[in-house]
Amino acid sequence: MRWALALVLALLSGTGFVYAVTDGFTALTAEAARRRQVAHEPRPVPDAMLMTADGTAIRLREALRSDGRVAIVGFFYTRCVALCRAQGFITQQLQAVIQAQGLASRIRLISISFDLRERPPDLQRYGHDLQADAGLWQLGSFMRAPERDALLRQFGIVVVPLQFGDFEHNAALHVVTPDGRLAGIFDLDEPGRALRMAQRMSANRRAPHVGERS
Amino acid sequence: MTDTGAQRRFKLCLAAATVCLAVALAARSTLTAQMSLHMLVQIPLLVLAGLLAYHAMPCNGAAVLRPESTHQRPWGWNEYGVPGLVLVSLAGAAWMIPKALDDALTDWRIALAKYAGLPVCGWLLGTSLRRAPAVVKLFFLGNFCWMSAIVGMTYLDLPVRLCNAYLVDDQVWTGRGLIALSMALALFWAANEAAKKRSCDTPLKKHRKHSSNQKSQL
Repeated sequence: MRWALALVLALLSGTGFVYAVTDGFTALTAEAARRRQVAHEPRPVPDAMLMTADGTAIRLREALRSDGRVAIVGFFYTRCVALCRAQGFITQQLQAVIQAQGLASRIRLISISFDLRERPPDLQRYGHDLQADAGLWQLGSFMRAPERDALLRQFGIVVVPLQFGDFEHNAALHVVTPDGRLAGIFDLDEPGRALRMAQRMSANRRAPHVGERS
Repeated sequence: MTDTGAQRRFKLCLAAATVCLAVALAARSTLTAQMSLHMLVQIPLLVLAGLLAYHAMPCNGAAVLRPESTHQRPWGWNEYGVPGLVLVSLAGAAWMIPKALDDALTDWRIALAKYAGLPVCGWLLGTSLRRAPAVVKLFFLGNFCWMSAIVGMTYLDLPVRLCNAYLVDDQVWTGRGLIALSMALALFWAANEAAKKRSCDTPLKKHRKHSSNQKSQL
């Protein structure tokens, strides 16, 4: 009897711990967990000062609000030759699709460098290489470490510094609404889903000013 | 084995348990800086601390296994060590989940479960192994080895980074380590059982000499 009770207790506490660690048997990795959490409950984006490619300093939340378009946001650094390169090409493709489908008045792209050493010339070179349309695809870099860390934490981006000034980091496409909420996180190989969500989020907006920015 | 010899063994176990716990706690920033060290050094050290602490208790020296008498008496809480081994196996599985390692760095509750729960698991492992017959041990050990080998191979194969806090290279090393661990544990257990069997099979006269030799080696 007490043996059976002990066995049941062992099973319950053991599976209970696994349940707690995996967010209720839904996620084996922290990355999967953050995507589910965000999809379930959008997170507010903390404000941060950004230096844009044309050399102006902007506040992210204010920029999102004044622009009014839904943004697909990615984090990178310009010298990266691995994940960011893939992310850069995917963002480039997204730009082409947005232009082709005439969505530029509703959706825009933002790429933010988390390397504080990167200045506007680096961003300009990167944008030039990827043929970024300045009205549609905005590049920026963080200006202050504490703001960057708070924002990356909220987005669930973990950046691990490596040797020779490189970084290991996770990458994804983040759908951010004009009122500053992170509403969805999508893997780099499903840009179509990110775009559909951005379209959905921007559909209920008031009449867009077509063609004004592209 | 003389009393003083037994006492020395208990003291040795206690000292080793303290060292394991102290290293796991004091060097925690170094040990959690890499995935392989976190999963294959710090976590085993915490379990080992509990296991050795169990063996450091003088009352735990004698064998508990009495299979022939179970017909007369009701089963104990941890009869044959099964409930304890179930819990330890589930904990072992949980700590192979990449999210557990990430969360242990960011969530204080998971960190608490690691630093307090794993030594308790080690203790439970000690008391359960004393009660478990070979077939029960084989079942749980086989299960654990199979699991860690599969998880290790998965870590080697996956091109994606599983832990946000750790690097892909490190993940590959963790995979290799898990496979090595599964083989080492199985070999260690087999050698241990073989040694036990040999000491039982030898004739009584020889056996005394043999076993005293073996124990002094231990």
